[in-house]
Amino acid sequence: MLLQVLLNGVLIGGIYAACAVGFSLIFGVLRIINIVHGEFLMLGAFITYWLFKLHGIDPFLSIPFSFAILWILGYLLQKYVINRIIEAPEIMSLLLTFGLSLIIANLALIAWKGDYRLVNPEYAGANFRLASLTIPYTRLATSVFALAAMAGLYLFLKQTDLGRAIKATSQNKDGARLQGVHPATIYSVTFALGAAVTGIAGSLLSMSFSVFPSMGGDYLLFSFFIVVVGGMGHIPGALTGGLILGILQSLSTNFVGAGMTYILIFVLLYIVLIFRPAGIFGKGLVE
Amino acid sequence: MKISSAKLWIALVLIALAAVAPLGISGYWLRLFTFIFMWIGLAGSLNLLTGYTGYLDFGHVAFFGIGAYTTGVLMVKLGMPFFPAMLISAVLAGFLAVVVGIPTMRLRGAYFAIAMLAFAEAMKQVVLEFDGITGGGNGLSLPIYTNYQFFYYAMLGTVLLIIGTTYWFENSKFGKGLMAIREAELAAEVTGINTLYCKLIAFGISAFFAGIIGGIYAYWMTFLYPGDTFSVLITMRMIIMAFLGGAGTLLGPIIGAAFLATIEEILWAEFKYTYLIIVGFIVVFVVLILPRGLVGLFRQRILAR
Repeated sequence: MLLQVLLNGVLIGGIYAACAVGFSLIFGVLRIINIVHGEFLMLGAFITYWLFKLHGIDPFLSIPFSFAILWILGYLLQKYVINRIIEAPEIMSLLLTFGLSLIIANLALIAWKGDYRLVNPEYAGANFRLASLTIPYTRLATSVFALAAMAGLYLFLKQTDLGRAIKATSQNKDGARLQGVHPATIYSVTFALGAAVTGIAGSLLSMSFSVFPSMGGDYLLFSFFIVVVGGMGHIPGALTGGLILGILQSLSTNFVGAGMTYILIFVLLYIVLIFRPAGIFGKGLVE
Repeated sequence: MKISSAKLWIALVLIALAAVAPLGISGYWLRLFTFIFMWIGLAGSLNLLTGYTGYLDFGHVAFFGIGAYTTGVLMVKLGMPFFPAMLISAVLAGFLAVVVGIPTMRLRGAYFAIAMLAFAEAMKQVVLEFDGITGGGNGLSLPIYTNYQFFYYAMLGTVLLIIGTTYWFENSKFGKGLMAIREAELAAEVTGINTLYCKLIAFGISAFFAGIIGGIYAYWMTFLYPGDTFSVLITMRMIIMAFLGGAGTLLGPIIGAAFLATIEEILWAEFKYTYLIIVGFIVVFVVLILPRGLVGLFRQRILAR
């Protein structure tokens, strides 16, 4: 029983980690807390939902669409809106992205109504048994996809010129500029990339959880928790943070009630902020 | 900013009008004005924190909810009269703000903003989980009191206290210290200001007032439900009202709250989601074009003449 609960937590945790990684990337490079993050996830989930519902496209095959659409949306938002206040006090970016999230969430609510929707292909409930454990195929596959997306992002940042330029900008903006890196371009690309990865995570979420226009708020909170625990802007930390959240939620749902998750999240967040403000590995940005 | 005698007279006339108004209005209008005062108070409470320290609070509704529920529980379970119950709730709200502020206010405002979102969500769950005391998801019924003029004056009185406190922030050494922190925290620290201490005091005062308003609201509505009392929408409206009017100014939250609360009264029932989209655009517009709010715009006009 306990082993099964832990396994469920790990499988969900992988998806949660993918949800948070774009948030962490954007914070690390642009130094803004992106409140639209939850809406990016919601849009990714709806893209998968509608492609499946209207065109019968397999949820896993809709992932490239989520990636591409969110990339474009992120790029445009950063280039034409957010970039205008990138040098302003941080409260301005908080407010601006908050306004944008209000607009997107409520447009979605008008367009798609508040119903809870499910992405349920034929294989949705299928599972296999391993010793005493039940493993649902979808959960396992989405977790693997989530890990692959994070690994892809990690390698992109480490191995490609563009990725290294992004990392350089996050470490030292002026230094990067001296090397011929143009910060405004890097900001737009980073925001687009963060949004696109978040879109993938949204697609993955839709295969395990209900999809509805106001789903963003909870996942914004989850993502924040994950990146604080793992270290703000520290990409690999998101994996640890995601697993901790997944296991925490799985344990509390099974043993003390789902509502307790939120109380535990706050208590843990509070403890981490007191003792390890740079995340449990101490590798995050603290300012 | 010192207030000129002409402005002081205008303010006194307005206060006198507000004080005698219940003699001439009743029913719907009395309720509407009580609501407008409530929103001015809530926006003013947020402004004491956000306007003067630069820390945006995405969970400020927590203190409103703590005030409301503590007042409710003290009155229902312990049979306490309203005033002491409300005061205890407000003190509790202020105290919890300081406790939550200690780790979060050492960090940048971005951490604080979302940590508070987590705090508000946690507080709502506490109310839901401890349903033996709070009524949980079934809600909590308070003793019914139908003297609506009482609630009008209670909200008005609280608003005046908040305005007085804001005036003190604007003109005291403490307030100047806060504004120094908002503009350049490191520089403020170097000049010998204990920045964490100042921010915590401002946060505590701000939460105390939100708690008072929550307490009055609880007794006025006579029924509390966790989903409504801790609604994220309440926080959103406080933020929007404060910033539309102009955060960090004395008049900003008053103007912003009175303006938006009136518009909401007209539009809310029929166009709830359209309304929120429009509000979203207003926020984007304020940030990009009008970062100092309506009050800032008005001041610029005067200076330009």
